[in-house]
Amino acid sequence: MEKVNRRTTLKLMGMGVALLAAGGRGLAQQTPTADQLVKGKNPKMIVLSQRPVVMETPYDLLVSNPERTPKEILYIRNNVDLPGYNTVEGANLEGWKVEVSGLVDKPFTFEAKELLSLPQHEVTMVLQCSGNGRTLYNPRPSGNPWKRGGMGNVTFRGVRLKDLLAAKGVKLGEKAYYITAHASRQGNAPEFVRSVPIHALENALLALSMNGEPLPAVHGGPVRLVFPGYFGVNNVKWVEKIEFTEGENTTTEQVPRYRVPTIPNAAIPFLPQEPGKTYPYTLQNSRPNWLVTLNSFIFAPLEGQTVEGPYVRVEGVAFNDGIVPIVSVEVSTNGGRTWHQAQLERQEKSFGWLRWRTTVYLRSGEHEIMARAWDAAGRSQPLDGNIAWNERGYEYSGVMRVKFTVA
Amino acid sequence: MRKPLWILTIAAASLGGYLALSQFTLPEGPGQEVVLAKCQACHDIGFVARERLSRERWDAIINEMVIRGLQVTPEERATILDYLATYLGTEPPPAPPPIQAAAPKTGAQVYANCQGCHGPQGEGNPPAFPPLKGHVENLLKAEGGREYLLLAVLYGVQGEVQIMGQNYTGIMPGFAWLSDDELALVLNHLAAWGAPQGFKPFTPEEVKAARAKALAPEEVLKLRQGLKRP
Repeated sequence: MEKVNRRTTLKLMGMGVALLAAGGRGLAQQTPTADQLVKGKNPKMIVLSQRPVVMETPYDLLVSNPERTPKEILYIRNNVDLPGYNTVEGANLEGWKVEVSGLVDKPFTFEAKELLSLPQHEVTMVLQCSGNGRTLYNPRPSGNPWKRGGMGNVTFRGVRLKDLLAAKGVKLGEKAYYITAHASRQGNAPEFVRSVPIHALENALLALSMNGEPLPAVHGGPVRLVFPGYFGVNNVKWVEKIEFTEGENTTTEQVPRYRVPTIPNAAIPFLPQEPGKTYPYTLQNSRPNWLVTLNSFIFAPLEGQTVEGPYVRVEGVAFNDGIVPIVSVEVSTNGGRTWHQAQLERQEKSFGWLRWRTTVYLRSGEHEIMARAWDAAGRSQPLDGNIAWNERGYEYSGVMRVKFTVA
Repeated sequence: MRKPLWILTIAAASLGGYLALSQFTLPEGPGQEVVLAKCQACHDIGFVARERLSRERWDAIINEMVIRGLQVTPEERATILDYLATYLGTEPPPAPPPIQAAAPKTGAQVYANCQGCHGPQGEGNPPAFPPLKGHVENLLKAEGGREYLLLAVLYGVQGEVQIMGQNYTGIMPGFAWLSDDELALVLNHLAAWGAPQGFKPFTPEEVKAARAKALAPEEVLKLRQGLKRP
């Protein structure tokens, strides 16, 4: 009797699973796949929105490219779409013009193709949506339901903005405290404007290529103004105007969106909120999602995997804003009671992610592993990521935990 | 022993239903049509449908959208806020009204999805959004125009088009998430503004067959460019 019942249960569970799977397929049929929306994207990408285009990299695809994230699987978070730019092919450089104005002694406009004759620089950097990890907050904040696939590690190549200014003999005004970049509005696109502090000028790059190929149109080609060490939103795609300004711009992209509560000029990265409460965002009582928060991700083992034991290889990546080096990544297999250091791929500071790995000794059974990074400024990650809860769910950096089984 | 099995099956089935419906479908309720019309002029309805927010947060979000170009009368704003706070709020929405047997959907109701951009009477809003009245009739007269129209609504169109002497460069999104019935209804609603002699109404079966094609918006544009107009 017992046996029959268990079998029946399994059968019914199987039916449930089949039903869910059918539901998933039904849904996939109704909504276009990633490759239909953006030519050249991997059809396995998770479409979070068709308009504007938002798609997440499935975690297993992300981790299977631990060096660099190929264009086919790089996440997309468009705030505006340009008609005809939904492709991973490059966009036409011919006729693309960019205005440089604001607090400069000689405002000018340049042709994007002029950039080809200036010295080229390359930077490998993490591009990460500041909403990455949003679904790990509780209660659920508003916004695209990112898991952990709203990020990638890519190599941009192009001309440094400061080199362009020098080549044009242009000097900044005394009160040029911010760089304010505007995206193209062709095809009646709504405006998209972002400001970053003038500090970002040091590494700012007018990118023309990504991963050795023309910059994909959907990722901002022909020209994207990238700021290594800054969250994705600041790296303005299809840039058509660069202003040097005394203040941050005040469009919704700068406030109230893409900000976290803080106390101005106080040394705390964010002002903790009571989860679920609202906050009256102003330029004064909050800060923009600028510098990438220190974070680490476990690439192996994966959640729910069964691996061979007792020696288990644990690996992943870690990154910060590139201002100081990451000095250690620690892993714990006992819920954070003890930690031991993983080996790091390199010691220098960098805008790209660095890989780390270690081997742990684990008996057969179920385990949970945690990883956390430290950098030379003494920054680390909260054990409980929810401490940073904010109503739009930005900048999650809680310690990652992975449950898996050792055979 | 049997009860838990039933619960499990029902739970699985309703979860399946939830997954299939939640992403793009707004719950029925007063104000649903205004929300469909206003919000979809700029973005996927999914941005709205998947949220569960307090009235205060919805109120703030409407303000944000007004800054970003949303145009609403004070009455429309109040209707939208009531709808969002009630049906997409932090509390479960009120129980749906008892099933009304005699209230089939109409094409005009489905057209709520379109009118935010194309206008209540298909008059359009140049230079951003092309008209449908007259334009759809022209398409239906062209060889292959009927199929193109269906595919354009299903998958969207992207790229430069010329319509009644005006250039349009915007983005027409696809509405593949509407049901076959709803798509047939809305297409026939468009055709009611003008269609050639002998026009046969679109059928859900025809929509279903078109789903097998899975085109990208740029491919739909190519079909448009290949149309032989009278």
